Formats: sequence, C-alpha cells, structure tokens
Amino acid sequence: MFSFPGAVQPDPSVIGGIAQPPLVQLPDPVGLFDARAKRFAHLAEHSDLKPYLGFLSALCAVQRDIQPGLPEVEPLDADALARARAHAMPPLDRGRFTSAPAFETTFERLLAQARAIHMPETAAAALDRVIAADAAARDQMVRNVLADALPMEALAEHVFVAAALQVHFARRAAGLDGKALVPVADGVCPCCGGPPVASLIVDWPHAPGARYCGCALCGTLWNYVRIRCTACGSTKGIGLEEIEGGTGAVKAETCEECHSYGKLFYQNKDLGAEVVADDVASLGLDMLMRDRPYRRAGFNPFLLGY
Amino acid sequence: MNMELSRRQFLGTAGAGLAGTTLGALGFGGVEEAHAAAIRPFKLFNTTETRNTCTYCSVACGIIIYSKGDLKKGEKADITHIEGDVDHPTNRGTLCPKGAALLDIVKSETRLQHPMIRRAGSDKFERVSWDEALNKIARAMKDDRDKNFIAKNADGVTVNRWNTTGFLAASATTNETAWATYKAVRSLGMVVFDNQARV
Repeated sequence: MFSFPGAVQPDPSVIGGIAQPPLVQLPDPVGLFDARAKRFAHLAEHSDLKPYLGFLSALCAVQRDIQPGLPEVEPLDADALARARAHAMPPLDRGRFTSAPAFETTFERLLAQARAIHMPETAAAALDRVIAADAAARDQMVRNVLADALPMEALAEHVFVAAALQVHFARRAAGLDGKALVPVADGVCPCCGGPPVASLIVDWPHAPGARYCGCALCGTLWNYVRIRCTACGSTKGIGLEEIEGGTGAVKAETCEECHSYGKLFYQNKDLGAEVVADDVASLGLDMLMRDRPYRRAGFNPFLLGY
Repeated sequence: MNMELSRRQFLGTAGAGLAGTTLGALGFGGVEEAHAAAIRPFKLFNTTETRNTCTYCSVACGIIIYSKGDLKKGEKADITHIEGDVDHPTNRGTLCPKGAALLDIVKSETRLQHPMIRRAGSDKFERVSWDEALNKIARAMKDDRDKNFIAKNADGVTVNRWNTTGFLAASATTNETAWATYKAVRSLGMVVFDNQARV
C-alpha cells in the first residue's frame, strides 16, 4: 500500500466508535489515594478484617492529605526519557533513585501525620523506629521497597516507607506522557518497572471488559491481554479459582506454566473495585489458595506473606 | 520477586502458621487468625475463560467463553457465558446480535448435534453415524463428478472442471485450515467454492 503526504489513512476503528484501549491510565495522585481510602473504608464495613482495612484507609487518607503544597517532583531528563522509550525500558528508573527534597518532604509529612492514626502498639512502635532512623537506615529501607524485597523482620517499618514512596512515584508517574509510553515486558509496569498488585477487568465506557494491571508502587494501570499469566506471559493452562457462594467479582487467575496466580477484580460485578484495597480485602482467597499448588504472584506491601 | 519464594520457604520451615505477614508484623495478627478461621469452611471452585472465534461469518470476531468445571480434573465443563473479546483487533469486544446470542445457540435444544438423514420417501429425520454420513456424501460426490466432470473444453484445451457441485467452508478457521480446504476442493476440479475468507 502506498501513501502520499496528506493522504487520508483508513481507520476502521472509527466504525462504531470503538477505540483501542489506551496502554496506560496514569495516576491522578490525589484522586488515586482518595479513592483508595474511601474503598478501604467501604470494604471495612462488611469485613471481619475491619480493623486492618480501617488502618489502611486512614493511611491512604494521609497519603492524600500530605500532597497539597509538596515541592514539585524533579522533572525527567528528556534524553533519559527518549532512551527508555527506544529500548523499551521504564522511564522511572528505580535503580537510580536518589532522595531529593520532594521525596524527603513527602516522607517527613507522611511519618508525622501517620502518627495520628489509631493503630496497634506494634505498628506504632515500628512507625517510631522509622521516625528515629538515621538517613542511612532510611535510605536502605527505600532501596528495599524499590527492589520489592522487604526483609522479613521489618515488614511493619517498610509499610510506612512504601506508603511514602507510593505517593512520590504516583506524582512522578502523573507527570509522564501516557501516549509516549511503550510496553516494557510481561507483568512489568511501563512507568516504573514494578510488578502488578492484581488486575482489574475494567468497565470503562471506552474499554469495557479490558484488563488493566495495577502497579504496586506508582499506581499506574496498564493494559494487558486477558487470559494470559501476568507473571510469565503464558497463555497455556490458564484457569480461574473463586470462592463458592461469592459474587464472581474476585477470582484468582492460575497458570500451569509458572504455577503462580494473580487476582482479578471484575468491575462489571463490583463497580468500585480498586486493585490495592480489594487485594487486601480479598485476603480470604489467598488463604484458601495456600492449599493449591500455586504461588501468589501479586506484590502488595500491605499484604506480604501470602 | 525472589522474596516471594524465600518467604514461602520461611513459612514452610518455620511451621509458624501465619507468622511473617504484614498483618502480623503490624499487630493485626488476631484479626488475621480470626479471618483465617472464618474463611476455612469455604471452598474454591474452578472456572475457565477461553478465547475462541465466533462461528457465524467471515468477520471472525474474537469471543471469550466462560465455563464452569475443570476438564483437566475430569469434571464436566459447562458454558455459562459468552462475550466479545476486547483484545481482538477485529471486534474489540463488540458482537452483532447473532454473536451476542451465541450462548442460546450452544444451549439450544433444536441444535443439530449428530449427522441426520431423511431418506427418500421418509417424512422424518433419523440419526446416522459419521461413517455412514461421510460415505453417503462421498458416494454422491463421486457419482456426480463421474457424470459431469469436464476434462477438456470445446477447443480441446484441458480444463478439468467440475461445475455441478459447490463447496461452502466455515469462517472460524485458521489460515492453514483454509489452505488445506482450498487444496482439497480445487484438486477435485470444483469451481464453485467459498471459504468465507473474503472480508
């Protein structure tokens, strides 16, 4: 097929107004944590995990409330952006993260405001340890979170560090141009290179039924083909497990190739579903999945150990 | 991501039940144990989502078939829902009214499930085996071809045509199936042929 300058290109997708689902839905930092706080509060009402969901709701409210007046996040270098795009690498490079004033202020404010949350003594003690930690110790915790490798003995401390990093990376991701992003790899966030918490089968008017993976760090939602393992990309032996008597809004997608599972939340069954909040609230599914030969693939700093 | 494995191993070797979770570390271990006890009586059940192609026309829209029951475990699977495949470039999740009613076709009591024959002089259909049906079709084709095959035209040029029988193939096929169909049908000399791959 030849074309000349100014020629009208045929675009069959216009027929019927069916657009291709966008690759990413970048986070709106305030809206993201506001929605998450409200979702946690809503889920807490009907769950026997109420105390924990209530705590996380308050933590997400802090993530929302600390944002007005924060210093602007450092703009990304245009060369680095172009290089990331050319080599299909995530533009927010976790390995080269350096703690700048914007993050320092975010971290300080989050720790200060989190102090007011009603929480068990163990959690409060962990928070105090983070507040008391020196720069080197804090930096190590930041690196642990960015590497998705939290030490077993300090999971509680890292919850607060992860919460601060979520705010900072959501603000950084919000500054990216979604149309300029490219898929990085199977099950990897195209913004920050992180693993997904879980997937959402969205019910958006322009892409009903499409699957979006939710990033555990920057909150980006990215489009991913359905019936495909989010951990290894295989399309063979994909099954779904759900709890009997449920609404069908939460399922575990299992893979026979890598023997892992990722959670799916169906917005057409539960319109308010949000990846992080619903992931924690559906802990019962993870508990039952322990008896199955599959490993949890989703990464959620608020729900480690499953 | 390696920590996922190490954590599991830790849990396995420590035998500490719910130890080593974020909930426990934050002091919500009691809530976690209560939840584990509450969820224990519940059972998991298996469902499947399968990609396929709508069988109706040559547009060949992508569909997702939802079924309950695991064939791999020897259970009987039952189709519960069919919808358009949003990842398919042709239809992007949409279906025409016929495609949207696919589940009713699957479940239809009047759906043809076996080869049936209405013999000459009979007023009703009866079930026959695939062997009998295929033999009968082959016999009829062979007889018709022997009778009407045109090896050469009026000018004496070899044409090898068989004009009196046509062949209509399905749309929900792969390129390879369409290729094999074409080769089989054309090799008989059949000219009236359509495998619906026109769009």
